[in-house]
Amino acid sequence: MKSHLNSCPNYRQAAAMPMSRRDMLQRSTLGMGSIALTAMLADQAGASPLAHRPAKAKNIIFLFMSGGPGQTDTFDPKPLLQKLDGQPVPESIAINVPKIPRSGVNSKLMASPFGFQKYGESGIEVSDLFPETGKMVDDLCVIRSMNHRIPVHGPGECIALTGTAVGDRPSMGAWMNYGLGNDSQNLPGFVVFLSNTTGPAPQRAGWGPGFLPAQYQGTVVDSKQGVPFTAMPSGYTGKNRREQLDYIKWMNERHLAQQGHDFELEARIASYELGYRMQTSAPETFDVSGENKATQKLYGMDEKHTAEFGKQCLMARRLVESGVRCIQLRNGGWDAHGSIESNHLARSRATDKPIAGLLKDLKQRGLLEETLVVWGGEFGRTPTTEGAATGKKRGRDHSPAGYSIWMAGGGVKGGQIIGATDELGYVPVDRPFSPADLHATMLHSLGLDQHSLTYEHKNRAEIPTVFGGEVIREVFG
Amino acid sequence: MKLFSPIGLIALLMTAFCGAQDRIASEEFTYRDSEWPTGQEGFGWNGGWVLSGQRPALLVDGKENDAREILIQGTGERNNPLRRELSTAVRDPEIFVRFNFRYDPEKGSKTDDSEFFVMWFDRVDGGDRAVHSAGIPNIGIHVADQGPKKGKVVFIVRIGSDRTTWSTVDLERGQNYQVVARLSKTDPDERAAFDQLELWIDPKSEDRDKPAASVVQKNGVNFVRWIGFATGRKTEASDRILIDDLALSRSWNDVLDLSADKKQDPKKMTQQLPPSLWTETVSFKKDVYPLLKSKCFSCHKGANSDSGYRLDVRSEVLGYSTGDPLAIPGDGAGSKLFALTISEDPKKQMPPPEEGEHRLTPLESDLLRSWIDQGLEWDEKLLPEPNASSEHWSFQPVKRPKAPATAREAWVQTPVDAFIAAAQQEHQLEPAVEASRRTLIRRLSLDLTGLPPTPEEIETFISDPSETAYPDLVERLLESPHYGERWGRYWLDLARWSESHGYQHDIPRPYAWRYRDYVINSFNEDKPYDRFLKEQLAGDELQPRTDENLIATGFLAAARISGNQMDKKLQRNDVLVDIVNATSSAMLGLTLECAQCHNHKFDQLSQRDYYRMQAFFVDGQLGNLSLSDSDTPNPTNLEDWMSAGAYKFYMSEAGKLVKKKTFEHTTQAHTWGFHSPKTSAAGIERLPVVNRDPLPWYPEILKTAKARLLIRGEVSKPGPVIESGWPEVLGQNGDTEKESLTRTELAGWMSDPENPLVSRVWVNRIWQYHFGKGIVSTPGDFGIQGEAPSHPELLDWLASELMDNHWSSKHIHRLIVLSSTYKQRRIYSEANAAIDPDNTYLWNWPQRRLEAEAIRDSVLVATGEIKNEIGGPGVNPEAEEANLRRTVYLTQRRSEMPRVMKMFDGPEVISSCSHREVSTVALQPLYLLNSEFMKNRADALATKVKSLAGDDYPLRVKTAFERTLGRSPDAEENSHTLAMLTESSDPEAAFVHFCHALLNLNEFVYLN
Repeated sequence: MKSHLNSCPNYRQAAAMPMSRRDMLQRSTLGMGSIALTAMLADQAGASPLAHRPAKAKNIIFLFMSGGPGQTDTFDPKPLLQKLDGQPVPESIAINVPKIPRSGVNSKLMASPFGFQKYGESGIEVSDLFPETGKMVDDLCVIRSMNHRIPVHGPGECIALTGTAVGDRPSMGAWMNYGLGNDSQNLPGFVVFLSNTTGPAPQRAGWGPGFLPAQYQGTVVDSKQGVPFTAMPSGYTGKNRREQLDYIKWMNERHLAQQGHDFELEARIASYELGYRMQTSAPETFDVSGENKATQKLYGMDEKHTAEFGKQCLMARRLVESGVRCIQLRNGGWDAHGSIESNHLARSRATDKPIAGLLKDLKQRGLLEETLVVWGGEFGRTPTTEGAATGKKRGRDHSPAGYSIWMAGGGVKGGQIIGATDELGYVPVDRPFSPADLHATMLHSLGLDQHSLTYEHKNRAEIPTVFGGEVIREVFG
Repeated sequence: MKLFSPIGLIALLMTAFCGAQDRIASEEFTYRDSEWPTGQEGFGWNGGWVLSGQRPALLVDGKENDAREILIQGTGERNNPLRRELSTAVRDPEIFVRFNFRYDPEKGSKTDDSEFFVMWFDRVDGGDRAVHSAGIPNIGIHVADQGPKKGKVVFIVRIGSDRTTWSTVDLERGQNYQVVARLSKTDPDERAAFDQLELWIDPKSEDRDKPAASVVQKNGVNFVRWIGFATGRKTEASDRILIDDLALSRSWNDVLDLSADKKQDPKKMTQQLPPSLWTETVSFKKDVYPLLKSKCFSCHKGANSDSGYRLDVRSEVLGYSTGDPLAIPGDGAGSKLFALTISEDPKKQMPPPEEGEHRLTPLESDLLRSWIDQGLEWDEKLLPEPNASSEHWSFQPVKRPKAPATAREAWVQTPVDAFIAAAQQEHQLEPAVEASRRTLIRRLSLDLTGLPPTPEEIETFISDPSETAYPDLVERLLESPHYGERWGRYWLDLARWSESHGYQHDIPRPYAWRYRDYVINSFNEDKPYDRFLKEQLAGDELQPRTDENLIATGFLAAARISGNQMDKKLQRNDVLVDIVNATSSAMLGLTLECAQCHNHKFDQLSQRDYYRMQAFFVDGQLGNLSLSDSDTPNPTNLEDWMSAGAYKFYMSEAGKLVKKKTFEHTTQAHTWGFHSPKTSAAGIERLPVVNRDPLPWYPEILKTAKARLLIRGEVSKPGPVIESGWPEVLGQNGDTEKESLTRTELAGWMSDPENPLVSRVWVNRIWQYHFGKGIVSTPGDFGIQGEAPSHPELLDWLASELMDNHWSSKHIHRLIVLSSTYKQRRIYSEANAAIDPDNTYLWNWPQRRLEAEAIRDSVLVATGEIKNEIGGPGVNPEAEEANLRRTVYLTQRRSEMPRVMKMFDGPEVISSCSHREVSTVALQPLYLLNSEFMKNRADALATKVKSLAGDDYPLRVKTAFERTLGRSPDAEENSHTLAMLTESSDPEAAFVHFCHALLNLNEFVYLN
């Protein structure tokens, strides 16, 4: 299927005059929803809308735990690991560990410093790192058998979020933004929050547009300052900005009148009004001060450790309510090569309550069913300790060979575990899944068929899961 | 090795039977009942067969009385009807598998239906609906997505679903096949991944090295414990897939049951060939030629031969363009050509069975075999090597046309107008009137230098009474050093130039800026275009050696290098591919990259042509290269050139190498360029490069490096050695089989007047940069898929002018900008638009938005803040405020392109960029209104205007208009603006906001 949203190689759209209406719409979405755009195009050219399937979810919130939380310390308890602490990896397990750099099979096993408790009716075990999230376990579908072969952060995040390690393809968020459109007239369709991280170069591909038009990329929003360039410079008020925009419009329309007719100039005039709406409504959306105390408390905004991430989680809920479909919260610092106990404790203390708060809040507002929430990192960590560290200084190296994630909301059947790793948590022994399988599943939840969501690039109909991947159907029960 | 499984007796029997302990598992399905047995039938399994609850496999009557076949049918979605665990996990370096297979389609279905069926090898079972996809080896059948069998159902292999290799073996419904595969590890380690999968269909014992399909993919699984069969969405409920006689083994001979005395299918017997009956010398002309002519040539002669195999050209028989030979001189029996003629397999047999009367007699086959054995003698007079040729317009030599006569003589100011007028008249279009002088100086200044004119320059030009005022202006602007900054930037887009390695790490290349300056200076000097190309392709080879020439190789060296690619062959091939693609796209306007894996589908470019081009570059390497002029400054204040993050990253990566003693910071002047230990001029020293996992640098290896045709473009499948040369369709290479051409010779060919592309492509680009669209609107594709020229004669005339005038780009500029065509006003005409809505025939000025650089630079000119020094290291884009230089000097790290370039459609900086898109999105106005950069510019503009006009508001408004729009306000604008300012409660603030507004106007950011 050839996407009608954009089918022209760049150079074929050389500046002709006047632009066709179709060209104008293709090049100037101006933050308009692509659904609306689709409808307009269909009206114009008889094109059919994107192949949508019945969807449970309308929105996605990806809680991306950058650095790699250890599976054996979070959602994949291994009693045998506790028993074999300090011993070498038994040959029967070591032999199944793929030969990738830093697999750690020659190091000593390390018991998890954290206990596990059973929660909820499902009785799923969750680490003591997440007492609050644990209470929501009946809404979570835990997948314990994720795996890939990229043991490095940058490419690992690329494969986790774009499907390939190279990082030149569109991020899943950009694909979803492209496929779902944006119900918000005034906000970017894909918003990214960073916490405890800066998002260095390769990792940025995780919300980048790849070959999709730039408007589908994630817009990184500083939770203190809001959408970039929406804060007016000093000296401006709402009133004098409006006067300025009126002046720009007046001048631009005179200029246009002298020329007759030009879609590109018209589109640029319209972009100022849309930019203005974004500027005025974004601060409202990102201003959580109007939320009542109980809600703020639910997200942990009243406590020092959870204030920042709690605010971002609350903003995520507000964005969902405003029609923004794709949200990524990238929380960094899980890379516990040393001192995993203090590292993971600090990370969980900052995120556990806000995440549980988000799930509860979405649920009580009836938004969880239509919002897919995904938690996970780019890989897990080795069941062994890294290097020669001892005692509290012990940590774990990267391990993409087997790791855990969870999903909730959006039609996901909660209270279930899918897949399993071996007795030490090294590699999947049941239902191994790749990041691409997860992507296909996320798209499916959103009503997007990975094979029908296409974008014409360099004469190829590109799809999001070009390197394979299948929907994990058990997720939906 | 655990051979003694619980089924000891059978195991013993099998072991004895196989003659070796190669057999892993087997199952002949010799069950009596149609119920699945519950025991451990077969050999080498742990437990019985596991059947799907969705739709299990069935036992049905086989062809022989004592056996059953397994019937598998589809469910319309993923299903694993039958699977089984091996008695032990297999981690051997190679595993062979074989089974018998037949696909009976649903009755009445079309034979071109998509089908799907695979056998998989996994670590775990995964259940009824598991996909066995990521890293899992699969063999089976699937519809081909691409390649010669596109759309057909063929046998496939894949490791993971991301990379499938489609064999050329069509699935014939109802046909019995023996499918054989080999799964292997490059690294024999028990924990290493299975990374190669090969497939044979009905192989003979000697076919071991000739698989029908093969795939290489790292990150496969590292052991196999479960095998199974899967159907998918394309397997229909009524399809019938029949399986029988399954075996897994560690050896080829065992899996084919060739060992010992195992009963053999006569079909699969090794052919014991009798000695040839032809003892005498075979004559090609008398014996072979008549045979080929009568039995083969009806399909396999000429450029469009069946399956791409042609027998009328000796080199093609030898696999010239594909690397896949049909005959190996001296080895008739081992040659495909002979084997096909004696094949009993109707799908392979040549001529095909349906050509009944063409079937070769044994004597005729034997003739071919002897002919090949005796050296494949040929008669070049009878069947000469064809001259590669094409009728495609752009591959024909440039012929200088005469400027056409036109009735609009007065309108013709340069010959360009004659061509344009002729086409307009033909389409009944009327050109627009000439634009005002005010418009023209703004258009010309922005177009030629990327900077708007100052109010003083405008006034001088408008009031210049001389008849030569306009040509004088053209000369002044062409002589401006800012011309090179504008036009050099276009070339930098084509060169995919940047100041970093790219890929994930994107490590900075601190001295890549020298190439940027080289390009700018070359344009300013009006360096002949042929010389310009020569320096960039072969500057390191040229004598006498100069630094300028060496810096020019930054074009080749702009290729990306992965920072953490462990596979060195792949890493290096990626660089070579980048160089070939960029060179052919930028200089030849060809999409040669398609020929990396297969002969070009549309253009007459063969795979061999691709690797011939690659061969020019195989003896060289990118790197930091020493400069010889000791006066060349080598500033080392890197922290001022790049973002804090980039600098920190660079220094930390450098630090690691310093510790390893493989790098040291240096003050020795150097550049980022391309160097060949074999052909570069003497005395160029290669300094180490900062890269975590660098390209290897072994001069001795490079000196003897040879290009190889990569079969299907796969690095792991090197074909024959290929000598350097250009695409045959574009001209004679000389005797390329013997002699290797140098890059200097490549450059010589580029500038040969007989070269049909180089001059056309370049004048077309110049035209495009002036008018927004080229005469050929696909500037990077002059091939058959590209657009035809709107004005073919004009294109050729300009190409001739370029070559006849020492390849002077400025000469072409003059022909264009002095024309009436160029000087037209921007004005809409209903009548013209009805005929030519796209303005293809240029009936008025094709207005367009300025590029990112010109927008930012225009702002800095309006405020008077622009720093105009030329060249030198780049400016850290995060600290631009401290150094307001032109945008071309902002450091271009691929992953951190300057904000204004990302905001306003700058190049992707991955491959050669021939045309920048224009997008209009809501973040652009937010940037222009709210960014700190633009706020500071608004303040600066207001301050500047106030310093010139004091408190005289009408004068302020006039001055601000002139500085931004290049004109005074008209009466209405004047009164409207003044009213807005004076009615404001804070006129000073309102004035700043007014200045800010001017920098946002369409009139300001569009080239009118």
